[in-house]
Amino acid sequence: MEIDYQLRWPLPLAIRLTVKGFTVLLGASGAGKTSLLKALAGLIPATGTPFAGLPVAKRPVSYLPQHYALFPHLSAWRNVAFGLAHLPRSERERRSRQLLAQLGLGTYADQWPRQLSGGQQQRVALARALAREPQLLLLDEPTNALDAATREEVMREVVAIIHDIGVLTLAVSHDPALAQQSDRVAVLAEGRIIQQGEMAEVFTRPQTLGVAQLVGFKNLFAGRVAELAPPWATIDTQAGPLRARAVPWLSVGQTLTWGVRPEEVIIVRADRPLSRPVADNRLSGRLSRLARQGLYWHLTWEGPLRFEILLPRHVQDRLALTEGQALEVAIKPDYLHLIPSSD
Amino acid sequence: MRAWPAFRITLQLAAVTTGILLLVGVPLAWLLARREFFGKRLLEAVILLPLALPPTVLGYYLLLVLGQHGPLAQTLGITWAFRFEGLVVGSVLFSTPTVLMVYREAFRGLDSDLLQTARTLGAGRWRLWREVILPLCWPGLLSGSLLAFSRTIGEFGVVLMIGGAIPGRTQVVSIYLFDLVQALQLAEAGVVATALLVLALLLVYTIRWIEGRWRSTIS
Repeated sequence: MEIDYQLRWPLPLAIRLTVKGFTVLLGASGAGKTSLLKALAGLIPATGTPFAGLPVAKRPVSYLPQHYALFPHLSAWRNVAFGLAHLPRSERERRSRQLLAQLGLGTYADQWPRQLSGGQQQRVALARALAREPQLLLLDEPTNALDAATREEVMREVVAIIHDIGVLTLAVSHDPALAQQSDRVAVLAEGRIIQQGEMAEVFTRPQTLGVAQLVGFKNLFAGRVAELAPPWATIDTQAGPLRARAVPWLSVGQTLTWGVRPEEVIIVRADRPLSRPVADNRLSGRLSRLARQGLYWHLTWEGPLRFEILLPRHVQDRLALTEGQALEVAIKPDYLHLIPSSD
Repeated sequence: MRAWPAFRITLQLAAVTTGILLLVGVPLAWLLARREFFGKRLLEAVILLPLALPPTVLGYYLLLVLGQHGPLAQTLGITWAFRFEGLVVGSVLFSTPTVLMVYREAFRGLDSDLLQTARTLGAGRWRLWREVILPLCWPGLLSGSLLAFSRTIGEFGVVLMIGGAIPGRTQVVSIYLFDLVQALQLAEAGVVATALLVLALLLVYTIRWIEGRWRSTIS
């Protein structure tokens, strides 16, 4: 679905966006993500296509706000039935219970919202939204109100349900982890979409520094193109020349930003010699800090540059790295990402 | 029982006042709680004014407006001073600020997300009120109405000025009690005072009970 929307209030937005499968719109808080969803739902005025001009109640969209907005005075199935007023009474209840069962909440149909966990409340709200068989499902920060401990699991289930049912979904979020579960990612900044595409494309090839930061790039540095010999380019950096995959917009002498994702820095092992071209991008330094981050280890490496590195725990179990030790790292040229300088 | 006419007038007055406040106050409180419009501050100040005025001052101006030589008598032929209608006008104005504040708080507590979501689920204005707003706000509205009822029973200054305490017509029970004490009929005064005390206790207790139940359903 192609969305082309213009908003003037509460902030100016001009959005052209393709929604496919489960699409996540990333943006910092205050970028206008919620405003766009409310405009699509008809709750704030906007012009464009599709749906603009239709009254709220007539739009084939379902909107799920951050805190789900379950009616506290109605049981789970009556919440779902709220959107089915066009059906006969008995059909309403049958359909609501059936949907709740489909979402694994069959036994909770008669419970009150306050008796349900955050994840269950979200699924009831999802059932209520799906009951109207919308053309477009809008999710506002769906991970925000979930416990950190169960967030990933709950969202994986929600995404699976959305895929099973096959409803077109636009979720807005500032959470890169949610975007990683999506089919398509768009990034909103300065009132417009600054990049959109397949999830892997946006996450590994951000086109601006802002997008890079939003999708989890941590190690970003200034550099200059020293030599172009397709398919390779040599970049002058603080750590000396590094090799990257040449991209069409490069020219010799050009300044740029280069970066590498923290999970894509390679730890060099003495027993496993590197082959070229990775061997060209080899840097010596020491491990200055080692800290747990969920099931990962977060490393701070200092050499000619300072890298943040994420290591799966099975790797650390094998390598048994300790703080202060000398450590060589390397970057695969394909993972050394180049971003044009903004000036 | 000689006090009965005074009790009857008082209860009638309280019921009519409460009904009018419910009809006028609920939409007004909704506007004040959930809409922004030009002149809102001024409107709020005017509504709150009776709170800052001595009831006799309010009664005095009502007497001027509703009396035989007042503007309403000259333009519309309405003379409500020293009549039940006058008592009603006085009581409504007197209780408006307190009751409106209770109604307004009931509406302010309502989550906008619920209303917006209900609209996206196809609910029109009527369904929104019937199935979302009233079921969630009724305890606040009821508690405001009980407050209006009990304040009207307790009123003295306004009704004395505008009504003149005519036995059987405009003499409410609080004034009747005052007259009994003036006439040193202390035994009957004791009975009347006790009856009022019990009634007030019952009303205040009911308000607190509803408020307690309300909090436990919402959160």
